[in-house]
Amino acid sequence: MNRLALSVSSAIARVTESALGPYQTAVIRIGFSATWLLFLLREFPHREELYGPDGPWNWDLAQQLIAVNHAFTALMWSDSGGWFEFVYVLAVLASFLLLLGWRTRTMSVLFMLGVLSLQNRSVFVGDGGDNVLHLMSVYLVFTRCGQVWSLDARRARWVRSEGAARARGERIADRVGVVLWAVLGFALVAVTAGGRFDGVDPTVPVIVWLVWLALAVWWVVGRRAKSAEPRILLDVVGNIVHNGALFVIMAEACLIYATAGWYKIQGSRWQDGTAVYYPLHLDYFSPWPGLADLLSSSGTLVMLVTYGTVVVQVAFPFTLFNRRVKNVLLAAMMTEHAVIAVVLGLPFFSLAMIAADSVFLPTSFLRRLGDWVARARARVVARRGRTPLPGPRAPENPEPTHANSPA
Amino acid sequence: MRYQVGAALALAVVAVAVCVHLGMVFLHVAPSNTVTKAHGKAIDDWVYPEFEQNWKLFAPNPLQQNIAVQARAEVQAKSGEIRTTGWYDLSAEDGRAIDGNLLPSHTQQNELRRALDFFLATHDSDNRPSGLRGSLSENYLRRIVVLRLDREDAAGKGGVVEQVQVRTRTTNVPPPKWSTEKISDKPIYRVLPWWSVATDDTDTDTDGGAE
Repeated sequence: MNRLALSVSSAIARVTESALGPYQTAVIRIGFSATWLLFLLREFPHREELYGPDGPWNWDLAQQLIAVNHAFTALMWSDSGGWFEFVYVLAVLASFLLLLGWRTRTMSVLFMLGVLSLQNRSVFVGDGGDNVLHLMSVYLVFTRCGQVWSLDARRARWVRSEGAARARGERIADRVGVVLWAVLGFALVAVTAGGRFDGVDPTVPVIVWLVWLALAVWWVVGRRAKSAEPRILLDVVGNIVHNGALFVIMAEACLIYATAGWYKIQGSRWQDGTAVYYPLHLDYFSPWPGLADLLSSSGTLVMLVTYGTVVVQVAFPFTLFNRRVKNVLLAAMMTEHAVIAVVLGLPFFSLAMIAADSVFLPTSFLRRLGDWVARARARVVARRGRTPLPGPRAPENPEPTHANSPA
Repeated sequence: MRYQVGAALALAVVAVAVCVHLGMVFLHVAPSNTVTKAHGKAIDDWVYPEFEQNWKLFAPNPLQQNIAVQARAEVQAKSGEIRTTGWYDLSAEDGRAIDGNLLPSHTQQNELRRALDFFLATHDSDNRPSGLRGSLSENYLRRIVVLRLDREDAAGKGGVVEQVQVRTRTTNVPPPKWSTEKISDKPIYRVLPWWSVATDDTDTDTDGGAE
């Protein structure tokens, strides 16, 4: 009994005192925002046909469907071409800034609004990759995904060193943050008062308002509170919400694989070992027919890949209890998605799935990856002959000793 | 102490929210069962519209047929003469655009394919639409076809597309070489009725996707 109480209290301590998986949440932030950014840039020449007011799924058709399904999309606020272009560019900008981790929380909200606005506007042009981005863009809002590998983290380091240098008590004003918050708040009030949220499912309006108010409370408490406790409480709440969202993201990835795997088991083609042959020979999924023929030239090989796919998908959630087996399966799944990207012509779906997979990567691997990228960048900068950046950065480690979770 | 109560409260709220959300999403992706039959409405209310998901990727069986969308037009020429064009294989054009392409566009890979899925899912075998979604899907498919035929310049110089007709051509993927299975390689056609082109169908921005 005592043991149980002890382990419960240590679990509570873990989820309250730190935002777990700083590297994992950073890598999925970068992964999802990069996927969406590249997609938007790739579709830039096709943007009007896919999402524009005069595309085949025009504003009027979208309006009729949205009146029934109540999905959120800022693109229904006006049928003008200018508004559409503005929203598209804003979506590009938000994904770029989220990628960099500039004002991460605010950008994650704008990123979500961009993803939902475009996808909900034209639901019939998306595929599984869009579906993954849709869900993850909502979940990301609740995470502290800018703790490392972000401009926010760099600014925090700067404030800490600067703050130590300056006289105690003197605060470093964050004018940009305040202005950003005020401008977006003004827009939010205008949108709400203008009735743009009427008839919309409450999920998105509630999230946006909550984040906006939370940012205000955070700022006021940070500046005004006389004791440290209110600030600590807010930090604890932020950690709890982050850890909850991280858990949801991991569970969602497991649900994706479990559903995909368990439904496959019931299919005759997955049972007779020929399933993988068929998508390779569909006109819409065979950019390289020669390669597809080569891959499916051996019946035994096709059967092994077919069975292997099902085994890996069904087994994956259970292997999370064993670190080593999990890592092997993770490598297998990421490889399979990389192959799918090329062979089935699904680059953005595959990128989104690889980004989702990477939430399970081990911290040690991610830190090595981060060091490697930092060194490569330093080398590139040095080769250009410019004055080198201020020394190699000290390894970031916001999480002391017990940082090896959740992988 | 006050702050500890606050933290405990936050922990409880988040824990409950996470459990409820994951439970709802699980029931949404699970096959129809005792619980979903009893509480289907509550699950749908929670999941739709923003948490909808479908992960039956190539499951239970991958698609084993190539379904091509073909279209033709009835054109009024400048002289007033009415003629019917030949069939344009729009899916074959998509296929050619995808061939050798590392980054296929959603306009090539999803637009027509999913518009047809939407149409077939909202029409019976006599091509009668069911409800609002049926009529939306008809409008959508027609507008895609008009856009594509316009890019093909099906109307010719000075001509106007008055009506369009769509048919699907379904061919089985031939069984693998090593297999002993025998299946028909004859295409099956499904011909949809002629649709008059609405005035705003041709307003579509035709520069948007021209490669």
